[in-house]
Amino acid sequence: MAGPVGCARGLRVTAEVSPQAGLFQRAAAAFAACVPVDPADDGFFGPGSVTWRLHADLSVPVSGLRSLLLQALHPLAMAGVDQHSQWRDDPAGRFASTAAYVLTTTYGDRATARAAAMRVRKVHERVRGVDPVTGKPYEAGDPALLTWVHAALVESGLAAAARYGVALTTAEQDQYVAEMTAVAELIGVPARRFADGGAPASVSELDAYFEAVRPSLATSKSTEDTASYLIGMPDVEPELADAWQVLAAAAVTSLPGWARDMYGFGAVPPGREEVRQVLGVLDAVYLGEPGVLEARQRLTLRMRAAERDQQAPAR
Amino acid sequence: MNEPKLRVSRGLAAMRLAARGGARYAASAPRLFAAAGERRQQLRDDLALRTAQDVADTLGTMKGVLMKIGQLASYVDDGLAPPARRVLSRLQDSVPPMSPELAAGVVEQELGGTPEQIFKEWDPRPIAAASIGQVHRAITTDGQAVAVKVQYPGIAETIAADLGNVALIRSLLKMAVPSQDVTALIEELRERISEELDYLREAEHQRLFAAYFDGHPTIRVPKIIDELSTARVITSELADGARYAEMLDWPQEEKDLAAETIYRFTFRSLYELRAFNGDPHPGNYLFEPGGQVTFLDFGLVKHFTPGELGPLVRMIEALCVEDDPEGFRRAMEEADFLEPGAPIATEQVVAHMSLFYDAVRERGPRTMTSEYSSAVARRYVDFKNPLAAYAKIPRPYVIVQRINLGLFAILGEMNATADWRGLSEEIWPFTLAPPTTPMGEAEKPWLASRETRSRSD
Repeated sequence: MAGPVGCARGLRVTAEVSPQAGLFQRAAAAFAACVPVDPADDGFFGPGSVTWRLHADLSVPVSGLRSLLLQALHPLAMAGVDQHSQWRDDPAGRFASTAAYVLTTTYGDRATARAAAMRVRKVHERVRGVDPVTGKPYEAGDPALLTWVHAALVESGLAAAARYGVALTTAEQDQYVAEMTAVAELIGVPARRFADGGAPASVSELDAYFEAVRPSLATSKSTEDTASYLIGMPDVEPELADAWQVLAAAAVTSLPGWARDMYGFGAVPPGREEVRQVLGVLDAVYLGEPGVLEARQRLTLRMRAAERDQQAPAR
Repeated sequence: MNEPKLRVSRGLAAMRLAARGGARYAASAPRLFAAAGERRQQLRDDLALRTAQDVADTLGTMKGVLMKIGQLASYVDDGLAPPARRVLSRLQDSVPPMSPELAAGVVEQELGGTPEQIFKEWDPRPIAAASIGQVHRAITTDGQAVAVKVQYPGIAETIAADLGNVALIRSLLKMAVPSQDVTALIEELRERISEELDYLREAEHQRLFAAYFDGHPTIRVPKIIDELSTARVITSELADGARYAEMLDWPQEEKDLAAETIYRFTFRSLYELRAFNGDPHPGNYLFEPGGQVTFLDFGLVKHFTPGELGPLVRMIEALCVEDDPEGFRRAMEEADFLEPGAPIATEQVVAHMSLFYDAVRERGPRTMTSEYSSAVARRYVDFKNPLAAYAKIPRPYVIVQRINLGLFAILGEMNATADWRGLSEEIWPFTLAPPTTPMGEAEKPWLASRETRSRSD
């Protein structure tokens, strides 16, 4: 899982939200704060990227939950979170700062994105120990673990969108995976080709990565507690609790079959339309939070400007 | 292995957004739907909806339906909980106008030619936002100035798909208006939405009102241009006049006259046309001095059968004319407002209900105030009253609540003074009294011509 520190502005705004604020309210505050008003540059992706489009998609809540469920299957990643993060004390805050980190590296300018990544890397330095389940030592800065967390996030983005969100072409899916190597490198995955230990840069490399990593995955009491917690989610706004259940079912359904089997989840496939309708209601609630609509409009305007520039004849 | 508990609740029964925040009664009546629609025009063009996909992204996945739920909720209840109101008004703000190209595409598809081919002149910039479309100004080939309402492309299909998720709609309605009978509301919502999506129906309503009020001294209803109206485009005469906010600055005599016209329009429609324009929203009125009011937007018209209207009329007659509390109670029971045999004394029933009839209990001038309209609204959702357990709003009357909540709010805001009882006696089918005001006198030729017409029918 990504580090507990988000963009500076995200944290400031998150802190202004009352500590009792629910998950969606905190995530909305992070979104409003992390989409820059006056960026120095287009950041690591830019308004013409697939990443910008995908990270603003309706399917994002499903993708976020799915990637946490997937990430928890790596015993060393799980141990690091269990032994070092106080996320259970303030899960909504922790989720919001993870969201803030992803949003900052996606939409922020390069300096802000780098600064956010540096803060996470600094925290990672202290995260090391021995996994009580496998007896193996771990450290959060280990490129193998960083790649795992990264790959789970990227693959979840594609899987959630494929089922519940925007339809990407095969080429766009490859492009997304390739674009996202930029953030993998920011956090410490070596800037190399996949074959030489870098992050996967295409859908087929992503598939190959999961094939290769599966033998290292396992469940434990910790994993199951975490999954139960994520699915039950006591910290979501009470009136959104049932919507969360639809979201959780969608996240579970979109997991790879082997991951569902590891958890022992039965298939509870909610229909695409039903999930999208619930996501639409959640999106409306999200829009009701201060600054969210404006942040979206900022993004839309920049994406449209980029489109116009692309269409304009080159001079 | 322990299977983590996974429960898919399709009902979303616990989504009680309304439970957040305590203040149920905001000082101002909720106008989130059309009022927000007015703001929408100010949105920058560069955010315009450019494709049918943009429309689906913005109004699909329940968002269009949510907006309509907000609208319906504001008709039937005084205070949406503040978070729900915020969500709905922001949602409304999130809908930009169509790009000129997208709107032109709809015109071309519906009328068989580009706007420039169909009209002598076409203004590509919308002059107003409608709930699921926008209004453009144009001049027809024979020189008539018209307003062309153009529906968002694909919206009908999008909303129809979302209306299929009854379980979700049920929980959203429970959330928005916990005090109401949700089953009745769902039916009403589905019917109203499908009606509103079909501009042919709306044009039909407008024709009915336009024909009925044709020749009226102060009530104007723009005529439909038949050959330029389809299921997704409505063309009507272009109306002019001051907006509501502007009119509020006029001298009180002018406001009183405008209020009299609105009152006559509402109750003549209800008792004589048996039709009620369920959207008495100030944004749908245009004002001119001398009490001239143009009524726009007939997307939300409710027709009543004589059987549905009868008990309403009986209730008024029993309470206001015959002073017969038992008769009033029987009429309430007949309309299904009140459970027969409820263990509540009739005088208590009357005491609770009479506030709604306060303005028409006695002759003489009376000033409508915002305090009165708020009191009416509060009384409507007063669950602590022992009557509440036995009372409900049956489905045919869901929209009529807008008289109590919307019309009185507008008249209150206008601080309008009139002999409302006198006006009512002119209109009530069981009194049909002679004119009580100069406007009533001026109505005489119109009324006479109406009688001639109905005799020749």
